[in-house]
Amino acid sequence: MKKIIALLTVVSLTASMLMGCAKSAENKGGSTDATETETEATGEIKEFTAFFAVPGSEINDDNEIQQMIAEKTGVKVKETWLAGQTADEAVGTIIAGGEYPDFINGGDGMQALYDAGALVAWDEYIEKYPNIKEFYSDADWEEFRQEDGHIYWMNPFDQVYGESKTTTHSGEAFWIQVRVLEWAKYPKIESLDEYFDLLRDYAAANPTMADGTENIPYTILCDDWRYFCLENPPLFLAGNPNDGSVIVNPETLKVEDYNTTDVAKRYFEKLNIEYKAGLVDPTSFTQTYDEYIAKLSTGRVLGMVDQWWNFAYTVNDVFKQQGLDNQGCNYVPLGITIDKGMENQWYTPGAQLNPSSGIAVTTSCEDPDAAFKFINDVLSQEIHDLRFWGVEGVDYAVDEDGMYYRTEDMRMTVADTSYKASHLSTYSYFPLWYGTSRDGKNAMQPAEQPVEFLDSLNDNVVKCFEAYGVTTYPDMIGSVDKAGVWYPMWSYSNTLTTDTPGGVAWTKMGEIKHEWLPQVVMADDFDKKWSEYMDVYSTAKPEDFLAEMQTELDRRISK
Amino acid sequence: MDSKYNIKEIKRQYVLLIWSAIFVVYGFVFYYLPLGGWIMAFQNYKPKTGLLHSKFIGLDKFKFLFEDDTFIRVVRNTLAMGVLNLVTSFVMAIVFAILLNEVRNKFFKKPIQTISYLPHFLSMIIVTGILHDALSANGIVNEILVNLNFIARPIDFFAHKEFFWPIVAFTNLWKETGWNAIIYLAAISAIDPTLYEAASIDGAGRWQKIKHITLPGIKATIIILLLMNVGNVLNAGFEIQYLLGNGLVKGVADTIDIYVLKWGVSQSDFSLGTAAGMFKSVVSITLIVIANVIARRTSEERLY
Repeated sequence: MKKIIALLTVVSLTASMLMGCAKSAENKGGSTDATETETEATGEIKEFTAFFAVPGSEINDDNEIQQMIAEKTGVKVKETWLAGQTADEAVGTIIAGGEYPDFINGGDGMQALYDAGALVAWDEYIEKYPNIKEFYSDADWEEFRQEDGHIYWMNPFDQVYGESKTTTHSGEAFWIQVRVLEWAKYPKIESLDEYFDLLRDYAAANPTMADGTENIPYTILCDDWRYFCLENPPLFLAGNPNDGSVIVNPETLKVEDYNTTDVAKRYFEKLNIEYKAGLVDPTSFTQTYDEYIAKLSTGRVLGMVDQWWNFAYTVNDVFKQQGLDNQGCNYVPLGITIDKGMENQWYTPGAQLNPSSGIAVTTSCEDPDAAFKFINDVLSQEIHDLRFWGVEGVDYAVDEDGMYYRTEDMRMTVADTSYKASHLSTYSYFPLWYGTSRDGKNAMQPAEQPVEFLDSLNDNVVKCFEAYGVTTYPDMIGSVDKAGVWYPMWSYSNTLTTDTPGGVAWTKMGEIKHEWLPQVVMADDFDKKWSEYMDVYSTAKPEDFLAEMQTELDRRISK
Repeated sequence: MDSKYNIKEIKRQYVLLIWSAIFVVYGFVFYYLPLGGWIMAFQNYKPKTGLLHSKFIGLDKFKFLFEDDTFIRVVRNTLAMGVLNLVTSFVMAIVFAILLNEVRNKFFKKPIQTISYLPHFLSMIIVTGILHDALSANGIVNEILVNLNFIARPIDFFAHKEFFWPIVAFTNLWKETGWNAIIYLAAISAIDPTLYEAASIDGAGRWQKIKHITLPGIKATIIILLLMNVGNVLNAGFEIQYLLGNGLVKGVADTIDIYVLKWGVSQSDFSLGTAAGMFKSVVSITLIVIANVIARRTSEERLY
């Protein structure tokens, strides 16, 4: 009897061990398995994997629109997103592991993937597939060419088909809730001082929200790589566009460091004063990104500096669902500068080519031709509409003139998270178009459909727009368009690695700023702390970094 | 002449030899063979050129490490947190085991022990999430302190450098004490009960029994475990510091592992990461050797 039990135990242990082995083998093979469960009448559907080094939500495996796209194109892609790491860490780990997903968008880590020899060259496929070829002009495609003469990725965004219909400001700004502007009867806010004065006055008059929870006048996010909310306003407040890591003086064509300018010192001094006055959220410097988004979603934060894409997707939907938009909690951007009367360039219109990152097909993909065909197919008008508008009759309707529109019910439904997971499949990091649809009338993206845009805005925001005489978010900011040919410089600084002295300096600068800027804002003696910070900052050798950026700037100008 | 290594002996113990052979092969393949990868630390390693063809740069990476203020600081942090963790977890595990052993009521003893090692199975993410919330400005710790009038305004514990190392030690303790105490409890239960009876006859109280019987009885276990953990002092951790750290406490929170992540993996600079890892291994081995020598000189116990 004992022998039988012993034998059974050994068999079950071995079986469980081998099960573990088989599972990992399946994951290694990855792409074209598991087609039996997906087969419809149309035949086999290929499954690919994709990884994007940005946060995002996974959709359900039985997502309806994804299934429809799979039937039309013959390909289904399982997308995974970044969670709890930086893009560099995630890409570094993937390279170290040697196993790549079929598609990858490594964000800042594309250069590392290229160096590791993980990517498939695009050249023949660009010629073969028309939708891919038309996405960029020939000159733009040249920007993507790497040192060995081939093209390895394409940036999926910022390409406008036909007429531009931009309505949203997708970049950085000082945001403020519409109820604050309404309370003050829509004043003209142009300078940093005016902004904080308004926040102070409103917070003094309205310390709590309707349900009694305290308002937070101003909060700062400085979690890891998102600390641009704290560190790069000096760039904009001086009137420069978003070159990200440096200021480019348009007259001398020289690169300048925005961290050491007078504007920077004045900005941080202002923050220091407001921190001591209690206007700045004291937990700003220890909060995580999740805590920050949760805070914004409660509608208690009156104003902050941030990039639109960092909060808008989650927070706006929550506002809609919770009815907070009816309390005037929506955010509108203000293009403020350090002094009154300066020009600002918070908003830069037009397509900005970012050749430093994009979507690529990896050498682990067993059928690259099918992968490129899929990229070609998702750019076709039919699939593009399925991705962004949804299913006709369910997610949008068509009126007599052929214009797409959404009813209020449809808008509520598409804002719901579980509906998004089970029904909508935007393939949001695969190439997509902005601008006008190929039918010449509708917009490629619902958010840019003019009537749809205005209709979907909450009344409080519409009132605000009317009071200022504008119809879109970029108009609210009122930026001038003077970006040079070199714009944007951040597309180069994002590719820096510690191979070069400039890259080492850049990483060190980041570490020092992370450590010192919070201390500077919280300091009792600002001037003393600021000079300490400047001393430590100079040990990072920022000259190396600026020298390297200058070389790149000269290269871009001379092209 | 009575050699143990003759054929007859081998034939008699062939089963044991086969068993050991499996583990020797396993150990060789997974622990010693990968050491060949240490050559990465002396090369400018790129995945494209691989181990055999990457450029040889000698000690450049090590020079970079030791000239870098950040690395020195990071080593200091790791050592500090490692030693703090070692001392506190050691003391607490022994104290907890002894105290638990003294519980007479069997009805409470088992459940307490089970509950005590449950946190071991929680992932660090959950533990740090709870801790981050509890210690935040409007968390429960501050609420209690303010309501009991110990402090006037809430303290943001994660904004001050002084608190970070104790918080790390506390997190580790809370998670691992119960689990670490298991071995000591087992060792205590192996002590001959007649010794306790003899001591009672001689008039020993509870505390004296602990001092003269329990502690000497588990001395061997304590020393062996201490020796094993001394080598781990540089593995003070990655998870707690990564999850609880922020810009303000960066100077005391970053460990060698986080440095390797930031400067090694994130930059695809695998050579640097390997160099730092090698440094850790060398230091750990040195520490174990020293500790073992001390143990051999002062008692009968030793690791090897």
